[in-house]
Parts: sequence; structure tokens; C-alpha cells
Amino acid sequence: MRKDVLIIDDEPAIRRLLIGALDRVTITHVEAATAAEALRIASAAPAPLVALLDLGLPDRDGLEVVPQLAALSLSVIVLTARDATEEKVAALDLGADDFVTKPFDSEELLARIRSALRRKAGPLSTTARRQFASGHIDRDAHEVVVRGEHVDLTPREFDLLWTLADYPGRVVTHDRLLELVWGPAHRHDLNYLRVAVRSLRRKLESNPGEPQLIINEPGVGYRVAG
Amino acid sequence: MDEPRPANDAERFLRLAQREERGRLTVYLGAAPGVGKTYRMLQEAARRQAEGLDVLVGVAETHGRSDTAVQLEPFEVLPRRAIAYQGHTLDEFDIDAALERRPGLILVDELAHTNAPGSRHPKRWQDVAELLVSGIDVATTLNIQHIESLNDLVAGFTHVRVRETVPDSILDSAEVIVVDLPPETLIERLRAGKVYLADTAGQALTNFFTPSKLAALRELALRYAAGSVDRRLTDQLTLAGDEGDYAVGERILVAVSPGKGGAQVIRHAKRLADLAYAPWTAVVVESGGARGVAGSQREQLAENLALASSLGAALMTLAATDVAQALVDQARELRASQIVIGKSRRSRWFEWRHGSIAQDVIRKARGIAVQVVPLEDADERPATRGDYSPWRAPLSALAIVAATVGPVFAAQDWLPRGAIDMLLLVPVIVAASLLRTYVGLWAAGFAALAYNYFFTEPRFTLLMNDPADVITFSVLALVAGVIGALAGKVRRQAETSAGVARLNASLARFAGLLGGLSDRESTAAVACREIGALLEVEAIIVSLEGDRLTVRGNPAHAALDLVDEAAARWTLERGEVTGRDTGTLNASDWQFHPLQTALGIMGALGAARPEQGRIIRADDATLLASLIDQTALAHERLVLEDEARQVGTLRERDRLRGALLGSIAHDLRTPLTSVIAAAEAIPAEGAYAEEVLIARSEARRLERFLGDLLEASRIEDGGVKPRIESIDLTDVIHAVLRDLRQNRDGSRVVTRIDDDCPLIASDPVLLRHALINLVDNALKFSPETSAVEIVLEYESSHVACRVRDRGPGLPEQHDTLFERFERLEGSDRVGGTGLGLWIAKNLVEAVGGVISATNRPEGGAEFAVRLPASNPRDEPDDA
Repeated sequence: MRKDVLIIDDEPAIRRLLIGALDRVTITHVEAATAAEALRIASAAPAPLVALLDLGLPDRDGLEVVPQLAALSLSVIVLTARDATEEKVAALDLGADDFVTKPFDSEELLARIRSALRRKAGPLSTTARRQFASGHIDRDAHEVVVRGEHVDLTPREFDLLWTLADYPGRVVTHDRLLELVWGPAHRHDLNYLRVAVRSLRRKLESNPGEPQLIINEPGVGYRVAG
Repeated sequence: MDEPRPANDAERFLRLAQREERGRLTVYLGAAPGVGKTYRMLQEAARRQAEGLDVLVGVAETHGRSDTAVQLEPFEVLPRRAIAYQGHTLDEFDIDAALERRPGLILVDELAHTNAPGSRHPKRWQDVAELLVSGIDVATTLNIQHIESLNDLVAGFTHVRVRETVPDSILDSAEVIVVDLPPETLIERLRAGKVYLADTAGQALTNFFTPSKLAALRELALRYAAGSVDRRLTDQLTLAGDEGDYAVGERILVAVSPGKGGAQVIRHAKRLADLAYAPWTAVVVESGGARGVAGSQREQLAENLALASSLGAALMTLAATDVAQALVDQARELRASQIVIGKSRRSRWFEWRHGSIAQDVIRKARGIAVQVVPLEDADERPATRGDYSPWRAPLSALAIVAATVGPVFAAQDWLPRGAIDMLLLVPVIVAASLLRTYVGLWAAGFAALAYNYFFTEPRFTLLMNDPADVITFSVLALVAGVIGALAGKVRRQAETSAGVARLNASLARFAGLLGGLSDRESTAAVACREIGALLEVEAIIVSLEGDRLTVRGNPAHAALDLVDEAAARWTLERGEVTGRDTGTLNASDWQFHPLQTALGIMGALGAARPEQGRIIRADDATLLASLIDQTALAHERLVLEDEARQVGTLRERDRLRGALLGSIAHDLRTPLTSVIAAAEAIPAEGAYAEEVLIARSEARRLERFLGDLLEASRIEDGGVKPRIESIDLTDVIHAVLRDLRQNRDGSRVVTRIDDDCPLIASDPVLLRHALINLVDNALKFSPETSAVEIVLEYESSHVACRVRDRGPGLPEQHDTLFERFERLEGSDRVGGTGLGLWIAKNLVEAVGGVISATNRPEGGAEFAVRLPASNPRDEPDDA
């Protein structure tokens, strides 16, 4: 029987905690303590949908495992230390879907897992409408509604919001956002992104001083609350 | 005056600065005994004691005068120290008791007094100097004739020379009060038996008591006192930026000669220097013949130099054959305005033969005034050559001439006629260049006579028939004389330069030997061996290790007796030369010289000589100074190497500690992650809701401490590498808020953000950590109900992020606020690693920002992080 989540961590205590949390919300799971074991499980059919990967593994560098799991079409959520910015960016660049920093808040972790599972369950690309925490964006209608109200966006702001909302709740790196919205030539023009985000927040957030919709991950990227 | 001035100013500043900490000296100066100095001193002291000053009488000589004795009654009198000397017991001033007692003012009568042998210092003025150095004010009495620089002058018109003198330098910073009595009154007092004249020396002083002499002495005393006031005024004027008369830039150079008259010249120069407020330099020129100077003269030269130094002259030794030229050159180099030189009374004939240095100096010193001091005793004769018998020179000259004339006479038939007179020049050159100039001159005479006797017609007579022979004879005599003189001069020059070369070679060898050594034992051993060999002395090196005196370098002298040890300690503590031949603790067999460097006193070099006589010969003084410098430098190098090694060890230890800290923090993190996840999985409801919240909050805090420890070890390793990118500080503050919301206190944080804040180039992760630490700190120190504010403002060239609290604010002294493990008073209560602010400061500085802390006028503290706004408002085209 297909399991939803593959837990990959060498710490038994963390595994047991994750299992407890998943059990409470009835998400099925399978566990692995090493990279080798994880790859074996991921290669066997039916493969789990989401891998929860701790980068500190005894037998392999966790970053090496990320592309292999992604190639097996698992959605990879990486567990990293908060101060390991470069590790986060590297994992995302290698094909990880998202990351959660340790020590984690189990509610936040479960939200990320759910979001990943949703993406796996139904392909979104067929419709032109994306739902996010406080509203939706419709590409065909060129319409953004937040808290029930229409908002006017510039084309660039619209593209940016669409790119973020394509996978609500998932972090998108700065480089990727710039590449998708402004084009590959502007990959490193972080200023464009900062200014656009600021302007988007003014239009979308109820309290721009403490944004709830467009969330910044310092040094990594942005996510839209899903 | 451009060159010597800065040094002078520095000296003055130093002198004045020292004066601040030193005790003040008040001198009651009288023209003669019996004017009432002691009486006056006691009167003044009584007045000051009545004002509340702590006054102690160290020594007061009442000489049995009852009015003076009555004056003593109100004072505490220090008991005298009994010193046994040749079966007598002498009462002396007890300096140790005085130092221990530390009065506000101590009275020490009779500044010129000579202490009993075995006292710490030979002279009482040295006791007074020590009291002053230890910060005790001293009042003392002195008669004008005891002042060193006036000694000659007074002796000149009273015909009484006083042996007990006091150097002028001790009076330099003193307040001089003249105790004046009209001569007639003084003579009346003498007749009435009111003046005490104890011993024979005192009896001789009755010579003073004629109205004219007393008047002269009185004038001298008044002038001296006026001069001293003037001098102190000038010091202060110059300090205050007023150039004063000093700017005329007098500088005096005095030529020091070995004879007794040298002292006279030096005192004269001192008086001139005082009148002109000029610095002065005493110069000795070592000409080639100086090593031939007899032992007694060498001693005298050393004494003259010591006198000049004690009167405040800078000393200088030059090596040159032409004494006058060297003096004038040096005067020009020093920009001296005057040269003072002595000249003894000699016959015209002597001067014609030897020349006079004074005459030469006058001839050469264009633009420099030359003062010639006529000397009483003609002991300036440059060379007595006492080690040669009067017959030795003519006899050796005769022998050399005979040795040449013999073969030439035998061979004269084969020799061309012109060759004979040429050959007769040979013994002259030989005698002058190998022996001495005057041996050459003798040889010249003999050669001329031999020519006349043996080789001119009629032979074997001193007659000459041929007028050509007369001419040849005269030319021969003249040429021989000139050659003899020149050859002698060349030899002297060669000797001088050979001496200098030898000196330089020994110094180079010495430095080379010391340079290769890496420990104190061998450095001391080599230094002592070499110095001992070069100066023909026994040498040791002493140093203080802790409080223990260590002796190195000479196994034969591994221990010192008490007197020697006292002298050594004195040198080590005060950097003065002590021991035999010096003014301090000269009962010691050793003479100690400090090994002084920029780092302080590295140790002391001790020198001793088993036989009588001065330990360090006058002409070795320069060499000794260089050797001491080299030895001190070698010791300094050892100390620096030691320190470098210790720093290396410390750094390595720090690095290990950092690595250990990092790895522990890392290992603690894993279980802590489980604890936090577990605590957050428990619902915070029901009876234990509070406990769950506490567990969560505290576990989070522990996690932040671990983060701090890791960050701290990264900072120490230099492992903080900012990743600079364009950031929006608003984003960073949002991240901080998100992190704090997990904290129980987090809801107290409010933000006030300037919407127009430009983007900046910085590292968002490091800034987030710094800001979290600042906010954490603010939450910790402020009441639980008060808000902590994060304010973001744009200030033209900077973006400022301020964290404000309503806590007790910063203490008065908070310069160490951002240091490691520094916590504010009472902060034990609130806990913390003591690393938070230090980390914040380091991280902010790593990204080029500035952190500061102030108190808010309305109460509480404000921490501000200012970051440069590098590229304000870099807007994309379509935003």
C-alpha cells in the first residue's frame, strides 16, 4: 500500500515525534534511518509521495540524496538548521520542494506536508486559478481577489504573485523568481524583486507592517501563505 | 634655534609633570651661618602645623640655642638613627623611618651635610631627593657657599673652599626663601656668641665675618634666589605657550679637560648656562694621545665629567686628533652659541711649541662666541709621559741614528753623494712613526749632527768648509724635523682610528654573539664573559624574578651580600647607577648599571674590580654604555620572544576552546530539537497549560543560547562570512517577529517602520541574529507588561534600526556593555549567556554597521543599529 510520507532521519526520537504527529492527523508514513534505506524504499513501488529529509545522515551527505529522490518524483521537504542558509538554497536548487528549519513547530511542518501532498494529489496546471490563504488569483480573468476585494496589479506584480501562488505555501528562491518573472538576464537583480514585493504587500496585506500573505525567508526566497 | 628645542621642551614638560607627583622642596637659604635659617624654618612649619598640616621634624640642629630649642617643642621629632663608626656612635637622619611615617611635610636641616659612612646615601641632599621622589614635601636649610656652581666664586673672594657641596639640580624645582640679616647685625650676633661654629672648619668660617665679604655673600644669595624664581617662572611661561626669553636659543658647549682646572671651567659654564637659561653640553675630545694620559689625570677627567653631569650638562665624548676642530664642529652641529674652554698660564715658548687649543678654537670658531677661562694651576700640560724616563727618548733616537750611520759610513765610497743625506732621513721616519713624535725630533737632531760630523769636510768635526754643505745640512735638519712631526701625527691618527675600529669590531662581535642566544642563562653568561674581557672587570647580571634577586652570568659570583643586594635592588627599581664610585650605596663592591629598554628595566649589569681604583675607567665609559645597550636589547628580545610564544599558546588554547564549544553546542542541538518538538506537540490546555507554555518557551530560549554559542565560536574563528545582497530591512524585521512569536514574550514587540526606507546591501541572516539578540535583551530587561519597540528609520545616508525598551536603562558606566560575559548589574536575575550583545555587535560590524546604546530621556534603553544606505532607491523600470 502506498505511504504518503517517507521520514528520513537518523535520530530515533525525532522519527518517533514525527510519526506521532502524522498519526494524529492520519497521514500514512514509512521511516528510514539512512540514505541507503531511504533510496531503497523510494525506488520500490509504490513510492511514497513526500520525503521528509534530514540533511545530517550517517552514511551520505543529505544534499546528494535530494536530486535522487526528486528524480524518483518524490516531493522533498528538507529539515535544516536555522543558520544554514547556504544549505537551504543548495537543497532547493537541487530539486527540493521546500524546507523546514529545526527546531520545528509541528503545526508548521504538518502544513507544509499537507501542501506538498495536495500538489501531488491533483495537478494544478490545468486550471488558471490559484487559491491562497486570503484570496485567489485568476490568470485568464487577470483578476486578483483578496479578502473578497479586487486588487489592481501591474503586469509584473501580477506575474510575481502568480509565480508564488502556483505552489502556495512553498518557498521559491530569489533567483528562480527573478528568472521566471523578469527573465534569465535579471537573475541577480534582487533590487527589482525587493521593490516589487514591497509594492505587492502594500496592495495585498491588511497590515504591511507585519505581513501575513507574502512571507520572506531571509537569504532564501519568498513564499505565499497557502 | 630650531633643532635642540623640541628635546628641551620635552624635558621641561617631563620635569614639570614629575614635579606634580614629587614632593615640594622649600629651601631656607642664608648667606652665612647664624642668620637664623633653622629658626625661620621652624617658625613657618609651626604656622603650617597650626593650619592642620602633618609636620615631622627629621633633623633640626639647635646648636644649643635655647630660642631655637623652644621652637622645636610643638613638633613630633623623628628619633635619630645611631651608626657605629670607628668606635664612635654617630646620630644620623633616619630616612627609612621618615619614609614609613610619610608626613605631609618633613624638616631636614643642613642640606649640605655629609652622612656617616655606611648610611644609604653619602650625602644628606640625596636623602632629601629620595623623600621628594616618594612624594613627601621637604623643608631644609642651606648656606650659599654650599651650592656647587657657586663654590669657586665664593672660594674666590673668601679664600675658604667648602668641601660639602649640593648640586644645583636639586634646587631647580625648589622654592628658595632667603633668610636675610644685615651684615652688621650678624657680626654683632657673632660677637655676642649667638652664632655656633663647632669645629675647625667652622672656625675657618670666621673668615666670612667681615662686613665686605658678608655683603658679597648676601648679594649672591639674593641674586640666586631671584634667579630661581625667574627660572621657575620661565618654565611655566614656556609651558603656557609663551616662548619667553628662552627662544633666543642659547646653547653652551664646554670643553672638558682632564686637569683640576677642568672643574673650574665646568662651574663657569654652568653659571653662564643658568644666566642664559641655556642647555649645555660637556664635551671630551679623545685625541690620539689620550690613552697616554697618566692614570691620575684619567681619574680627574672622570670626576670632571661626573661634576658636569651632576650640574645638568649633557655629556659627549668625541674621538679626533685635531681637538680644536672637533670642538668647533661639534659646536656647529649642536648649534651652540658659546664655547667655554680653559686655558692655563704657560710660557710663550711652550705655546709656540705645542700650540694652544684655546687659540685654535678661537681661530676656527667663526660666528660662535668663545669664552676662555684662565686657569690657576698649569697642570694642563698635555702629556707628562710619566712612564718614560727623560733619557729614554734621546737614547732610543741616538741608537736608531747610529744603526743607520754605521752602515752608511762604511759604504759611503760606493754611494752617490746625494744618497747619503736621503739615507739619513730613514732613522727619523722610523723613530717618529714607530715610537713618538719627539723621539723623531731627537733623531732629526742627531741625524743632522751625524751628517755634519761624519760626512762633511773637515771630517770628524762639527765644522763645515763648503758653503754647499751648510745648505745641505740646514735642509736636512729642516726636512728631518718636518718628516718627524708628520710621521708622528700619522701614527697618532692610525692609532686613533685603529682604536675606533677595535671598538666597533668588539661591539659588532658582542652583538653577534648575543643575537644567536635564546635563553637568559646563556645570554647572561656570554654578556658577562665578553664585558669582563673587554673592560677587565668581573661582570654579573642581576634581575628580579618575583621578589627574588637572581644573579646570572658568572658562576664565581652566584650570591651577593646584603649591601650589594641593596645596591642591585636600588638600580633595578629606580634605574639609577649605584654602588662603588657612585653617589648611592657606595659601600658595595659592585657597581650596578640598569639595563634599560622601552619595555622597562630588564635587569642590571654589575661590575667589580678586585684591585683599587675606579671600576670603569673614564675612557671605557662610552664602550660600557654601548655594551649595556646591546645587553639590554638582547634581554628585551628574549622578553618579546617569550611573550610571542605565550600569545601563540593562548591563541591555540582559544581556538581549541572555540572548537569544543562549537561541537558541544552542535551535539546539544539534536536532543533539544526533540524536546522542543515534543513540548510543542503537547496541547497547552487544561490544568497544565502554564507548564507546557513554560516548557516550550524555555526550550526555545535554550535553543537560542546554543545558537549564540555557535555564533560566538564562529566569530572567534573568524568564520563569519557575510553574504551581502540587496535586502529590505522590513523583511528582516518580519523574520525577527516570526521567530519571536514562538516566544511567550513575543507579543510585547511592536514595530514602527518608515515605509520609504531604501534597500541596503547587507547580510539578512546575520542582521536577523543581531536584532533577535537585541530584542531578546530588551524583553529580558523590561517589565512584562511594557512594550518593546522596533523602529526603522531612514536618516539620509544611513538606515537606523532601533530597539527601545521601558526597562531600568543603562548604568552610568556602560563602556563594557558589548563585551563578552559582561552583564549589567542585577542581571543575574534575568539570566543569559552574557554573549548576546557581544554577538550582536560583532555581527553588525561584520556587515559594516555600527551599534550603540543610549538611555532614553523618557526612561529605558535604546540600542541602535546604523547601516549605510549604499544605493538608495534603486527602482526597477516598471515598479
